[in-house]
Order: sequence, then C-alpha cells, then structure tokens
Amino acid sequence: MKWMLFGPETGIFLAAFFFLILSMWRKPNPARDHMYALVLSALGVAVSLACVGAEGFLFSGTYRLDLFSQVFKVALASGLFLIVCLCASLEEIKKRYRQEFYFFLFVCTLAMMLLVSAQHLLTILLALELSSYSLYLLVTLRRNEDMGLEAGIKYFLTGIFASSIMIFGMALLYGATQAVYLQDLAQVMPELMNSPAAVIGMLLIFGGFFFKLAVYPFHIWVADTYQGAPDQVTAYIATASKVAVIAIVLRVISAVDQNSAYLVHVLAVLSITSMTLGNLAAITQKDMKRLLGYSTIAHSGYVLIGILSVGTAGYASAVFYALALLVMKFTVFLVVVVVSPRGRNLEIEELAGLHRRSPLLALALMVSVFSLAGIPPTVGFAGKFFVFMAAMDKGLFVLVLIAMVNVVVSLYYYLLVIKAAYLNVPRETLPPVHLSHPMRCLTGSLIATMVVVGFYPTPLIQLSEAMARSLM
Amino acid sequence: MPRFEIKGALSMQIELAGFPYLSAILVTCVAGLLVILLLPEERKAEIKWVSAGFSGTTLLLCLYLFFAYDKSKGGLQFVEKILWVPSLGIQYFNAVDGFSLPNLLLTGIVFFTGVLTMWQLEERVKEFFALYFLLVLGVFGLFVSMDLFFIFVWYDVSLFPMYLLIAVWGTTRKEYAAMKLTLYLLAGSALILPGMIYLYAKSGLHTFDITALMQPGTFTAAQQKFAFPLFYLGFGILAGVWPFHTWSPVGHAAAPHSVSMVHAGVLMKIGAFGVLRVAIFLCPEGWQYWSGVMAFLAAFGIIYGALAGLRQTDLKYVIGYSSVSHMGIVGLGLSTVSVEGLNGAVFQMFAHGIMTALLFSAVGYIYDRTHTKEIGELGGLSRVMPVASFYFILAALAGMGIPGLACFWGELVVFIAAFKVYPVRTVVALLALVVSALFMLRVVQRTFYGPLPEKHAQLNDVSFSLGIPRMILAGVLLLFGLFPALLFDVIETASIPFMNGLPR
Repeated sequence: MKWMLFGPETGIFLAAFFFLILSMWRKPNPARDHMYALVLSALGVAVSLACVGAEGFLFSGTYRLDLFSQVFKVALASGLFLIVCLCASLEEIKKRYRQEFYFFLFVCTLAMMLLVSAQHLLTILLALELSSYSLYLLVTLRRNEDMGLEAGIKYFLTGIFASSIMIFGMALLYGATQAVYLQDLAQVMPELMNSPAAVIGMLLIFGGFFFKLAVYPFHIWVADTYQGAPDQVTAYIATASKVAVIAIVLRVISAVDQNSAYLVHVLAVLSITSMTLGNLAAITQKDMKRLLGYSTIAHSGYVLIGILSVGTAGYASAVFYALALLVMKFTVFLVVVVVSPRGRNLEIEELAGLHRRSPLLALALMVSVFSLAGIPPTVGFAGKFFVFMAAMDKGLFVLVLIAMVNVVVSLYYYLLVIKAAYLNVPRETLPPVHLSHPMRCLTGSLIATMVVVGFYPTPLIQLSEAMARSLM
Repeated sequence: MPRFEIKGALSMQIELAGFPYLSAILVTCVAGLLVILLLPEERKAEIKWVSAGFSGTTLLLCLYLFFAYDKSKGGLQFVEKILWVPSLGIQYFNAVDGFSLPNLLLTGIVFFTGVLTMWQLEERVKEFFALYFLLVLGVFGLFVSMDLFFIFVWYDVSLFPMYLLIAVWGTTRKEYAAMKLTLYLLAGSALILPGMIYLYAKSGLHTFDITALMQPGTFTAAQQKFAFPLFYLGFGILAGVWPFHTWSPVGHAAAPHSVSMVHAGVLMKIGAFGVLRVAIFLCPEGWQYWSGVMAFLAAFGIIYGALAGLRQTDLKYVIGYSSVSHMGIVGLGLSTVSVEGLNGAVFQMFAHGIMTALLFSAVGYIYDRTHTKEIGELGGLSRVMPVASFYFILAALAGMGIPGLACFWGELVVFIAAFKVYPVRTVVALLALVVSALFMLRVVQRTFYGPLPEKHAQLNDVSFSLGIPRMILAGVLLLFGLFPALLFDVIETASIPFMNGLPR
C-alpha cells in the first residue's frame, strides 16, 4: 500500500480535479461552490493528519516522506482550509471565475505539498513552478483588472527571472557535483564547500527560493503584488506559500550545508538587509496590505536567522516561526478581508473605530499585530525568542542585537495600526461589522491559539524539534 | 510504519512548597481580567466592583505573604517550580525573597488604591480595567519570577498595555507620550533580551534559572562586565536613569491618574528591580566594575530632576521630574555595593512608590474637579478642599524627606551608605535634595494657599468613600515612617546573605 503514503497529495489533487470538472459542467453557484471547497479542504486537513506518521521514499527516491514533510502538509492543508473560510463572499472575483479560483487554489496547495517532500532538484523545480504559475493566475483574477493585471505581471516577470536564476544555479551545482538528489549532494558537498561553482550554484538556487520568501534583493514584487491581488490571494501568498518555501529552504540547507562560513555570511547579510529594509519601508505605508507586504519582508529576515543558525536548534526555531507566521499573518488577513470596503483595498485609516464596530475583530487585530511585533505572551514572541536563542548558540550576538533593534522599529508601525483600530474616530459613523457565528468561533480560537501557544509553547517546540531531527 | 513520539507534552515536573500563593496572585489577576472581558460594556458599576474585588484579593494575598514570610529563615520562600520547556531549560519558577516582598506589597497596595481612584471613570470602562489588570499581571509576574525567560515575558506584558491606557484615556499630548513611552521602554527590551540569551549561551548550564546562573564562577569577569551594561541600560530606561528618563515626565503627565499611579509607583520600580534581580544578581563583578558610572548617572539624575522640576508649570510634570530625582536615589543606593545601600534602595523603592501614588491620586482628584493641572490657574485650594489638599501636602512632605514619613528612611540610609563610597557625588546630590524640597514647597504654596480663583470657589471636598484610597496610602506612608524596621527586617534577610556571598 505504498500509495497510501501519497494520501494528502492525492486528496488535494482529486479536489482540484473536481473543481476543474465543475467549472466545465456546471454553472457557477457561489454558495454551493464555497461549501464544496470548505468540505474538500477540511477533508484535506483530515487526510493530512491521518498521514502524519508516514515515512519513506517514493518515485525512485525523488520524493521523501518524513515527519517534517508530513507536518508541513498538515500546515498547508490547514492554511488552505483557513483561506477557504475567508472566501464566503468573493466579491473581488467575478462570478464566472469562482470555480477556477478554487481550482487554482487547490492546485497551488498540491504543488506546495509536493515541494515540501521534494528530494530531487527537478522535483523541487517542478513543484515550485507549478505553485508559482497557479499564483500568477490567482493574482490576476481581481475584478478591478488594472490592479490585478499590474500585480500579476510584476509577480510573473520577477518570478520567471528568479526561476531562471535558480535553474542556472542548479546547472552550476550539477556541473560541480554530478548530483541531483539531495541525499547525494549531502555526501559530496562537504568537500566542495569551498569550490566557487558549488557555492555560487547553491546561492543561485536559494535566490529562487528567496524570491518566493520575499528576501532582499528578491523582494521587489511584494508590495505591489500584495496590494493588487485579491485579499484572499494575498492572504494565501503571505501564509501558506511562505510556510512551504521555508520548509524547502530548510530541507535543502540541511542537506548541503555543513557550517559553511560563506553561506552563513551571505545569509546573515541578506537577513539584516531584509529586516531593516522591510521595517523601514513599512513605516510610511498607508495601505494595510502594502504594510503587511513589507512586514513580510522583515519576517523573512527573522526566519533567515533561524535558518542560518545551522543545526537542529536553528531548524526547529525556523519551523516554529513558520507555523507561528501561518497563524498570526492569517489572523491579520482575516480582519483585512472582513473589514475591507467593497472593491477597494483597506487603508489603515479605515480601521478607525473598529473597537466599536466589532470588539472581537479589534481584539484579534491587536493580538495578531502584537504577535507579529513579537510582544509576549504571543506565539510571535516565542518564535522570535527561539530563533534568537539558536543564533546566540552560534555566537551571533550582533545579529540578534540588530534583529531586536528591528523589532523596536517595527513596533512603531504596528502600534499605528492598533492606534487606528482603538483610538481614531472615524469620519462618519460606520455600521457594526457583521460576523457569522462560525467566523466568530474561528476568530476566537485564533486569538486563543496565539496567546496560549505563546504562553505555553512546549508542545509546539517539541514538535518542531522532532521535525528538525527528522530532517537531519 | 514507524511513528514519532512526542514525549513529555503531558507529563510536567512540578515542585511546590505548600499552597502556591504566588501563582494564586497571578491567577487572580487573570481571572479578574477574564471576568471583566465577559461582562457587557454597559454594566459599568459591576465592572468596577469586580475590579475592586479581584484587586482587593491580590492585596490580601500580598499582605499574607508579607507577614507569613519567615524572616528568621530568609532566602527564597513560597517556591513554585514547573519545568516549562524542558528542551530549552525554561522553568516556571516563582519565589519571593526580601527584595521582592516589599515590591509585591507595594504593587498590591497601588493596584487596589488605583482601582478605587478610577471609581468615577465613565468612558470605555471595560477596556480600561481589562488593560489595567493585564498591566498589573505583568508587574506581579515580574516581581515573583526567578526565571529569566518569564522575567522578560512579564516585563513586556507590563509595558504594552501602557500604550493604549495612555493613548485612549490620557490627557496632555497623549498620543505623542504613549508612542514615546512605549518605544523607549521596548528599546530597553532590545538590550535585555540579547543580554539574557547571551548569558544563557555562555553559562553552558542550559537553564534560565536565576538561582543556578548566579552561582559564583558561572560567568567570567569579562562576560559580566560586558552583560551588565545591557541589563543596566535596558532596565534602567524604565527606572528613569538619566539620560534615558525623558519618556517619564511626558508619560506621567499624559497618563490617566491610576495609570500614573501604577506607572510611577510600580512600573519604574520594575526597572530598578530588574537591575537588582538580573544585572546585579547575575553579574556582580560587572556591578562592582560599573558602579562608579552608576553612581554618576544616579547623582546626575537627582540633580537634573530637581532642577527641571523647578521650572515646570504643570502639576503632573512636577511630580514626573521629582520621580526622576527620587529614582536617582534608588540608583545611588544600588551603586554603593553595600548592604546599607541595597537596604536603602529597596526601602526607597517602596516608599517612593507609595508617595507618588498618593501624589498622583491627589492630583487626580483635583484635576477631575478643576479640569486643570496648570499651577498658575490654581491657588487657595486648601480653603475649599482641605482634605484633598492634606493628602497632597502630606505626600509632598514625604517627598521632601520629612522624618516620620517613609521616604525619610530610604533617603537617609542611601545617603549614609553613598557618602562612604562617593563623598563628592553624594554631597552634590544632597544639595539637589534641598532644591527639590524648594520646588515641592513652591508647588504646595501656589496650589493650596494664596488667593483662590473665583471659578473654583464652589468645589466639593473629597468625600469619605472617594477618600479611601488616599487614606490607605497616607496610612502606609505614616506606618512605615514610624516603624521602618517592619520593612528593613525583611529586606535584610536578602541583602546581607547576598553581599556576604559576593566574591571580593
């Protein structure tokens, strides 16, 4: 029954196929389609959970299943489910595209699931491209076509540029090592860590990942794409897609890096630039989604600290941070999606009076924003703390200090968001925000998750550590 | 199919010495917070009674702890230990000693009286008390925690509610003040956190437990000299150490009364306490090395606060600058590296906390009636509100260091200890105290005596029920002024063994 190992992927693939058929055969019916999507994505979570224990290799060793990949698949399936929860009224997307929207969303998730298990350079490339192309299309689906198209083209052009860089890197690496399997690379890399071809090839491959992760200097698309894409798609890019890329970066780096000083230095520089640039640029933003875009760049910088602290502790902290990001970024986007005025992006000023219009949403915004800023007792703080601990174990004191200074800088714009929601008085009185009961429960449980896991992170830490060990 | 086992998620190692009173305090705060959150917004009276009930309970628990603490035994008591994150050596470790006990009592008193002081609040009552409880939860947590990780967590928990408390309910330039205060204080945490993780990594003990890390020989002298300034500046910002004090008068003036009370009364003590508990406990050699600089900054703060206070026209700014000056005395005490200095510093923390709380509480009453804090627009108030004036004048006299009130002992002991070590700096600082007495007297004279503006002629004096919080504070000020040994006996159980344990 080796195919059972392939459960989550099969499930999501069938769901995507279902939407493809649906879009050809049936007229769109938003409520029904949303219900289908909800049920199928929930099933996806269930199947992924059932397959958490799976372990082994598939497809002649190009595909690896371990605790690391399987837990990330659960995270991705949950991310998909959460995003589908936000799609109850997809006003940003024309009715006739709704089914295709779900199709691409499921395909993209499938691609990311393939990505976290990929063990062969070509598998990595294929999975990454499949997810990228689905996202390029999703971004352009916005009703306001100018915005969507601009965002999509920017994303697409920088994306294919990054892919070509990555392919070039793979070619260089193959030339230097004659290996395409990660497990083979792990064998030959230690001797080659000082050969320019291997190191440059490695870095170019990481360039492709860093494009998806929005690390400087591959971040140019982020703000415009976040702004132009439909809110749900932005949320998806900011959560699930980031988690998947962090996973593959960890998988590749754990296979090839044997404490190469070159790589650590390059990554440290990229991390510092990303944090600083992201945080400084975010200060001046007026559009909520642009602000979140720049904060994503900063967060990628923090994650990189965990990644470059090579070793179980560093990888575990990066995994923890990735899972934390999924929850806290999603919560912010939940507020953005619900509060956004129809057909436009949410400006920060338009959050004014939120504490009157919906105390629950205001609380969710406050907790998630403080979590993003890394204020205890939230999961974001725990994540930062463990990342910094891993880095300090490697003696990177200055890096941690710079990161903490960045945390203080970022606090400024996060506080402005909170100020808008709790303090500013709206120009005209706005009606209360209506939240359905399931959405209330979802919001409440997200808040509880962030605080409880922030205060008692032990189970999640143990999980991350087990995942990091399964990686080595 | 092999399965991965995640062990230990459910099996916790717990070590308790009797009933967990310290956790009970924290749980009471959390419970109060939750009850307030669940009450509907409109039921303002119930929210206030609930707040008073829960804060009163914490005060009773603090009082019990203060008197149940075994002074003959000393050391850490009421220990609660739970292994929190085994793989990283994080423990939920609470205990009290002679240093934290006075601060715990102080927090209980200020918390309870602060709730009573805000009894007439009508605007966004629910959110106010919820944030207020969160703030105090952090303060309590920090005073009882003996684990670096939790100290940092509680430190930040006590800071971020300040932003909203000031920005929403504050007065003078509130948004500016709130942002400045929050960024300043969290900038402090940007030094503290790397410092903590640095010590964790260097110790090799794989623990955040302060009692384990403070064993002599854990850190080399060079490491201590490096880490000490991180903690001293990080926590010192919160303690109003010159030249990082500028957030403090602005923040005090802008905050609502009870938040000013907690802020000046307790929050600034967290800073000084953090310097003591983390910087001095873990880096004693760094402490001895940097003590001259500490004394210099403290003396400068005393002088600067006094001189700047002389020029202020806003009542709350006056108190804010006097806080800078008084916290300088705490810093001076800590910088002496002596038993007397530590005794005096901790005593002064307590006394100053009660005194400023009373000052802000009294100013709060006056401001609510006259709607001004400008000294120039006030005058002759003692004729229309003699009782309210009495509280302010009493606290002002305490601030001047009049014998018979608590602050006298703290200042006296600190200056005696400091004079032995830093004669010049101490004499200069003593001169500054004369200035501070001058500016307090000037404020008292212009606000409470002299001609009474006509628009204030019809004001009511403080009623009995509204006067309760001020009575409590004034009573405490007198009690510890007349019987300072009550407090000194407790502090000595910690300071003498600590100084004896120092490598010389």
